[in-house]
Amino acid sequence: MVFFEIHRGSRRVVACSDRAKCLGVAAGMPLGEATALAEAGMVHLEPYDATADRRMLEKIAEGCRQFSPVVGLEDAPAPSSLLLDISGLGHLFGGEAALAERVVRGFHRRGLRVRIGVADTIGAAWAMAHFGQQQQEGGGSLFPYRPPTGLELPSDDKADTEKDSRPPFDDLPIEALRLPEATVDLLHQLGVFQVGQLALLPRNELNARFGPELLKRWDQALGRLAEPILAQPLPADFGVEQSIEYPTSRRETIEWILRQLIGQLSEMLLGGGRGVTRLSCRLACQAAGAVEFSLGMFQPTASSQHLFQLVQMRLERLALPAPVAAVSLRAALTAPLQQGQQELFLDRRETQRLRWLAALVDRLGSRLGHRAVVRPRLVSDAQPELAWHADPILENHPIKQLRRRQFSSTAPGELPPRPLRLVRRPVGLAAISIQPDGPPLHFEFCGRQHRIAATWGPERIETGWWRGRLVGRDYYRIETDAGRRFWLFRRLHDGRWFLHGMFE
Amino acid sequence: MRLPDENTPFSPPRGIDTPRELVEKLRGQIARLEQSRCPCDQASISSGCEGLDQLLPETGFRSGTLVEWLAEGDGAGAETLALIAARSACGSEGVLVVLDDAGQFYPPAALRLGLRQEQMILVHPADRPDFLWAMDQALRCPGVAAVLGRLEKLDGRTFRRWQLAAEQGGVLGLLVRPTSAGQEPSWADVRLLIEPRPSASKEGRRLKIQVLRSRGQTAGESIEVEVDDETHTMHLVARLDRSAIPPRATGA
Repeated sequence: MVFFEIHRGSRRVVACSDRAKCLGVAAGMPLGEATALAEAGMVHLEPYDATADRRMLEKIAEGCRQFSPVVGLEDAPAPSSLLLDISGLGHLFGGEAALAERVVRGFHRRGLRVRIGVADTIGAAWAMAHFGQQQQEGGGSLFPYRPPTGLELPSDDKADTEKDSRPPFDDLPIEALRLPEATVDLLHQLGVFQVGQLALLPRNELNARFGPELLKRWDQALGRLAEPILAQPLPADFGVEQSIEYPTSRRETIEWILRQLIGQLSEMLLGGGRGVTRLSCRLACQAAGAVEFSLGMFQPTASSQHLFQLVQMRLERLALPAPVAAVSLRAALTAPLQQGQQELFLDRRETQRLRWLAALVDRLGSRLGHRAVVRPRLVSDAQPELAWHADPILENHPIKQLRRRQFSSTAPGELPPRPLRLVRRPVGLAAISIQPDGPPLHFEFCGRQHRIAATWGPERIETGWWRGRLVGRDYYRIETDAGRRFWLFRRLHDGRWFLHGMFE
Repeated sequence: MRLPDENTPFSPPRGIDTPRELVEKLRGQIARLEQSRCPCDQASISSGCEGLDQLLPETGFRSGTLVEWLAEGDGAGAETLALIAARSACGSEGVLVVLDDAGQFYPPAALRLGLRQEQMILVHPADRPDFLWAMDQALRCPGVAAVLGRLEKLDGRTFRRWQLAAEQGGVLGLLVRPTSAGQEPSWADVRLLIEPRPSASKEGRRLKIQVLRSRGQTAGESIEVEVDDETHTMHLVARLDRSAIPPRATGA
């Protein structure tokens, strides 16, 4: 894939995929040359959308708030870097290196590659991230990490200290100073290719020959000139409220008010480019406190119709103790609305399918409760009843999980044979067996006698003492003479038989 | 309007020679009318066994229809067959919604059948009205590939509503029910009776499948299949003699 833009009347490559890079395509190259390098039909050409790019970067910046309270975009016409102020935060994550690794993993989970630089100044960190030596590579994410420039070294390493006292980016190319293209070209013409070479030039002439930008960027990188991070603004608080002059118990009136309020809230959300993922509703009842409920959404939405349907569904099942005197709605959790850019690699049909699913999950969750709509997740536990976990979908941002790459999948063959129905509490059986440790011959279940014709097992399942209650069981898959299949176990400590599941 | 005289002998419409041909023609018209209501532009969904597919409408299940799996007692294997069909319906990306009001559905077994955890949405309705409503909602959602539910009683009106919902959503509805449901009218496209059989080997499971109803096909056919315990592939073991089926097996 190749993204191109029109620059000074000609089309040139802005960015390209790894596959295109392998074919020799590079950023800045004229598009004609790029298409000539790549075989016809092998690359997909897409006009570069700077606005969408910035919007996506802002969205990623929001996600980075989990690592730092101050997250901003770099000060550039087309920013491509995020700036995180991690001063004093390292110890919370087990050190700055651990924090950086965590950021790498976080991006990797989202299918994004990232380069990270950690330094005392924005300029130095930017330089490291863009031109620093690669020290670690994992899962396709590059992670060049250098200690902060002001790092104190042990006193017995004095010689080394002197050697390393020069800023670590002296060896970096001059482009690492975030300079305009014209300035870089001029410096190259004068034989200045590395940052360290600037120190050899008379400082008072730099301003006159190259403009104020060079000194400003250099000083910023060295910490001689302060450079703040322009933090992304926090999402606004979206809430609406209406008092009712004559309190009412009439559902139609309350629904009408809710519809109006949801309309207002929806407009506010749309204005901010955000969707609600958790909506809190409060109905203040006259002299009887308030009835409150909240609704979770499968994906951010600002659709007034969808929100009203969910609220209405909940309202139908709500008992109002007294006439309602005020209604308030608040978007307790919001997120940027899904943009087309995000679905670049999903076709339109898949996107629509996800929307339908989201609406279904919202409706099911709204009526049945969040915990009634779950997604199973295998857990590494020998005890069958604990071998999976029910993750409430509305609490786990599952829209991301619908994509296969987000999941670690277990091959079906790796799973042991298990029944499709597992009874909540194993049912004690009156079973008869000939051998003391062998499978039973017949047993009674639900008033019906079953004679066992074939068995598979035993499969011994034991849990460790640290789990508290010890579980020791010998499981058998059995088939009756009628062909019915069950899952039985013998409790090791007393030899009693239990039925645990049915192979339905 | 003038009614025909009772004494006037019946004469077939012009161009039709015999009552048998008339019946065949009407049957064809009914089949065409029924087909037009279903989203038949999609490929049929394999039951997992070619021998069984031959007995189904359009050699497989159809999206936007309901399928009933009847079985008596526990451990009979009907739900395994339903999940194999769900696996076919879902393919690699489709989503299966499982309605489990008893809280007994055990996902690790479904994953062993070849479904992936991100493909499954498990719904736990608290009571029967919630179950009926949730089934209706899931069948109506085009984002879902298949819905699986286990239930005993089902009134004709709800059944019909589900059938229309499945048709609207293009979803395959899989209903696992007791054999007593075989006496009730059905709005399902296919109704199958599953009976376990003693296995001939330790590697597979034998099941008898009787087709009680299959839209556009002749009901009453029975086959015996074996489901491999490891691969969960199904193959035909034998075709059995045609069985008599209860007269009230169809309702739609």
